Amino acid sequence: MPVIRYAEALNAALYQALSEDPRVFVLGEDIAQYGGVFKVTKGLRDAFGDRVRDTPISEQTLTAMAVTAAMTGTRPVLEIMYADFMPLTLDALVNQASVYGYLWGDQVELPFVLRTQGGGGLGTGAQHAKSLDSFVAHIPGLKVVAPVTPADARGLLLAAIQDPAPVVVLEHKLLYNTRGEVPDGGAPVEIGRARVARPGRDVSLIATSRMVLEAEAAADRLAESGIEAEVIDLRTLRPLDVAAITASVAKTHHAVVINEDWGFCGYAAELSATIMDHAFDDLDAPVERVATRDMPIPYAQPLEDAVIPNAARIVHAALRALA
Amino acid sequence: MVTAITTGAVGGEYMDHVLVVEWRVGPGDAVRQGDVVAVVETAKAATEVEAPCDGVMGPILAPVGTEVPVGARLGLIGADAADAADAAGDQPTPEPPTPVPAPEINADAGADAGAESDPGPADRRVPEAGDGARLVASPAARRMAAETRVDLRVVAGTGPGGRIKRRDVMAILRAGAPAGEAGLPAVAGSPEGDRPLAVRRSGPANGTPVLLLHGFAGDSTVWHALERELARRHPVLRLDLPCHGRSPRRRYRCFRDFAGDVIATVAGWDTGPLHVVGHSLGGAVALALADQRPQAVRSLSLIAPVGLGSEIDGGIIEGLCRASRVESLEPWLRHLVVDPARVGDAYARAAMAARADPALRLAQGALAAMLFPDGTQAVNVTPLLRRVRVSLRMIWGRADAVVPWRHALAAPGHAGLHLLPAVGHLPHLEAPETVLRVLEDLITCTDDGVSTVTSATPDGSLLSTQEA
Amino acid sequence: MSADLTPLANRPSIDDHLTMHRRMAITRGIEQELGALHKAGRTRGPIHRCDGQEAVGVGATAVLTADDYVTTTHRGHAVYIGKGLDPRKVVAEILGRETGYNGGRAGHMLLGSAAHGMLGGNAIVGASIPAAAGMALSVQLRRQDRVAVAVFGDGAAQTGICHESMNLAALWRLPVVFLLENNEYGLTVPYTAQSAVRDLHVRAAGYDMPGVQIDGNDVVAVHQAVAAAVQRARRGEGPSLIEARTYRMEGFSTSDVGGYQSEADLARWRARDPLTVSRAALVESVGADRVEAVEAEAAEIVAAAFAAALADPPPRFAPHPASAPYATPGPVRGAARGAALGAA
Repeated sequence: MPVIRYAEALNAALYQALSEDPRVFVLGEDIAQYGGVFKVTKGLRDAFGDRVRDTPISEQTLTAMAVTAAMTGTRPVLEIMYADFMPLTLDALVNQASVYGYLWGDQVELPFVLRTQGGGGLGTGAQHAKSLDSFVAHIPGLKVVAPVTPADARGLLLAAIQDPAPVVVLEHKLLYNTRGEVPDGGAPVEIGRARVARPGRDVSLIATSRMVLEAEAAADRLAESGIEAEVIDLRTLRPLDVAAITASVAKTHHAVVINEDWGFCGYAAELSATIMDHAFDDLDAPVERVATRDMPIPYAQPLEDAVIPNAARIVHAALRALA
Repeated sequence: MVTAITTGAVGGEYMDHVLVVEWRVGPGDAVRQGDVVAVVETAKAATEVEAPCDGVMGPILAPVGTEVPVGARLGLIGADAADAADAAGDQPTPEPPTPVPAPEINADAGADAGAESDPGPADRRVPEAGDGARLVASPAARRMAAETRVDLRVVAGTGPGGRIKRRDVMAILRAGAPAGEAGLPAVAGSPEGDRPLAVRRSGPANGTPVLLLHGFAGDSTVWHALERELARRHPVLRLDLPCHGRSPRRRYRCFRDFAGDVIATVAGWDTGPLHVVGHSLGGAVALALADQRPQAVRSLSLIAPVGLGSEIDGGIIEGLCRASRVESLEPWLRHLVVDPARVGDAYARAAMAARADPALRLAQGALAAMLFPDGTQAVNVTPLLRRVRVSLRMIWGRADAVVPWRHALAAPGHAGLHLLPAVGHLPHLEAPETVLRVLEDLITCTDDGVSTVTSATPDGSLLSTQEA
Repeated sequence: MSADLTPLANRPSIDDHLTMHRRMAITRGIEQELGALHKAGRTRGPIHRCDGQEAVGVGATAVLTADDYVTTTHRGHAVYIGKGLDPRKVVAEILGRETGYNGGRAGHMLLGSAAHGMLGGNAIVGASIPAAAGMALSVQLRRQDRVAVAVFGDGAAQTGICHESMNLAALWRLPVVFLLENNEYGLTVPYTAQSAVRDLHVRAAGYDMPGVQIDGNDVVAVHQAVAAAVQRARRGEGPSLIEARTYRMEGFSTSDVGGYQSEADLARWRARDPLTVSRAALVESVGADRVEAVEAEAAEIVAAAFAAALADPPPRFAPHPASAPYATPGPVRGAARGAALGAA
């Protein structure tokens, strides 16, 4: 299997989708001529012309337009440069995209994809480093995926484009240059299926996006103490693979949920509640939550490091669960 | 009927044979249950053998010097003299212990098993802890207890704040005991919970008794060397602290309750005033006893007591609690002493054998979580120390790695401090002669009625605060 | 520079006008019956009536083919009827019946019918604008011969997405018509208190597109202006802005207690009621009998629609799997315990 970068895997998915389906088009700020600020759309303009469009800085309208364009026979893939800008898109997501599938039922399909990237770690400051996973995962009628491996980046983006429902793809700025094996053939990865990134029997580290990598690092450290942590990469935030979670918790009886969104009312809180709902009697300790501190993301490195979750915090949470 | 004296499980799974080194009773002697009747050596560590019941000593089957398999009968006890005499030619089989039936906590579970109701494996309702406090157990522990019919009230919680976790229930199950029989009855009214604290008596019948209170994770056998000498001249009472040795395992919410059980036990005796000697945790208990019942204490000797400062080596406490095998226990034991030879392989085996019961370890784990959370002493008996009036000696090894000897400086001015160089946390084991001498001196002068302090001298009582 | 919409397209045929008149009459009948039912406590939630504004929605949609798209506001009944939707199913939806276009899930503000290209009512002020622009983008990308019409109000004209949409549509020459239905009020506040310019159509200049102001109570004028803009869009020349001046006669919604519109204004606009204007023109062309027959037909349609819809069953609730948060069913709390123990 070829080893490629995460950004290249996304590019491959877009290329494949644009090639295979003339209804697919890609739009966003700086994505055509320049190839995207993270180079995910590099070369697509040359290959597909007007189906790859630079846009004005009009996130609200672009999202709303993508929704109705999808409703009327196309498959738009909209890039929102930073997840921090998603609040601008929220009316289109929460009042438009998410409701028509229910209100109008089988009359319409909404094969709309919103790609964005969030997360801290690059010193991008309070308006360019957030993970607002819960904003979108909260909305009935949307699907939300967050691939962490290049293989899943390609497979899940492809699945998102092929999906008849609106899908938000949450990428992470620190993942674009990570490398991994990506299978040939370009098969989509099923939305709604978690992945056991690392099996273990003592404690479940249930993580999303880049936090999966931190959880794996935490598992390495826990292993030095003889603790076998199981790392679950949720891959899809909504609809959630609750069976994968309950299966892991039934095995380990201890759960740490990790998400880079804020903690309060955040996605990790939902995971914690889900475990309580579906696996309460399997719990041998309260679910431990690891999330971004409830404050704006600071700029300077020591400050940002103190706010974003990391392996050390996951280790501590696991040890608290196992105490 | 005739009952056999056996070594029981002293050797644990690591010993095949024991050597009989002493008989303290002879045929025809009256014995009471719990009396030490013999001493055996398990790989050079002495272990006492107690009478299993009241009666009259019959024949000795394993004389001093013989090596017998673990579990073998050492001698026989008859119900009376005739019985004992008959026993010479008899080989009775000890009656098997009668198992306590598992408590039927789900007696009414099936009352309304309608078509749509899931009968479930067992009732999930968990009784409250006997003392009225809510029983804290994880959901998984509750489910496992319900399914295996373990009464959670007998499980010692080792999780944060004493929460019962799955592992605690599993430990009970691994111990193989049927539910309700193993573990820690905390409930008033249960046979086990109401059982009195175990006490061993030795020495002459007359005189002011010496009460020995052992430390955390020990039991009354740790006094063996000292007891042998003291018992030549004084009645000696060795108490197993709650959750230790043969005393019942109970659940405690605070040190006060824990010490209260000991104080209540001593209050029930008709021995008159005692010379009280306490080591480590037993030292804090001794101080609490002297504080609450000053008339019951003629003198007080505290050996490396806890409760006089916040520092304690939590790792050692935890390691001792957790060790389930000789290999894991021995390194922690070595931390207790200066000369590792004092706690060699044999000592460790014997110590582990005494701790073989997982329920006991669990009980002590819960106790440690309450007394020494996060490697900190949650017990503070310093105020008691400041107001104690009885003659007081404090003995501390200056190389104590568990509780810092400087805590001794909290002592009031009238106290005598004996800070032993090159001695660790077990002075009575590491320097028994010195400890014996200190104790005998104190006993001698207080028995003469000389040295009971009636009022603290103002200038000498504040050493601790000056030091702080 | 800015092209304009002259010369206007041809006037609608008499038949087309009669059809528009019938649809306006149907819409008016629906609004009045809804008002009566509301007073009788037989409606649910606020209803935003478009009495007096029927010419805008009906005149604009009469230009469109079934394939063309239209989006509208929370006050969109004239668009629904104008785009050819079945009055009975519209009324059933408004009354929350199983037989409504959306089975009672949408209600009167969010009604949609893909088969009619009516997608749809939108109760977020301003949202109908990018909605139509997005459809026009789809049309452009698929190289179709369709247009999209955004019907929106003077309140929506003040939103940020109105600006973004017009800029984008003009930039990309999208086949969309921006039909600004200026009824002078955003809830209780007159548009003059919301807009820096009195004549909203002048904003078209900022997007390099034609902008006209027309009499929104004259269905023929609306038809002509929209027809010209639609033709321009079909030619690939991009969007247009039409400001149709009209007036909101019945308050913001059935919940509105009123008091902020002057009697003088109401009287002035009542005299220019779109049905009155239309009737006068038609009587001149085809005679009063013909017009009365059309109006009677409309009244029958309305009466039948309400009779049927009121007798229709209410919907039954069903969960919506596509909205479900879980991809896989998890065990219900407390169940399936034996198996779990076996695994442990």
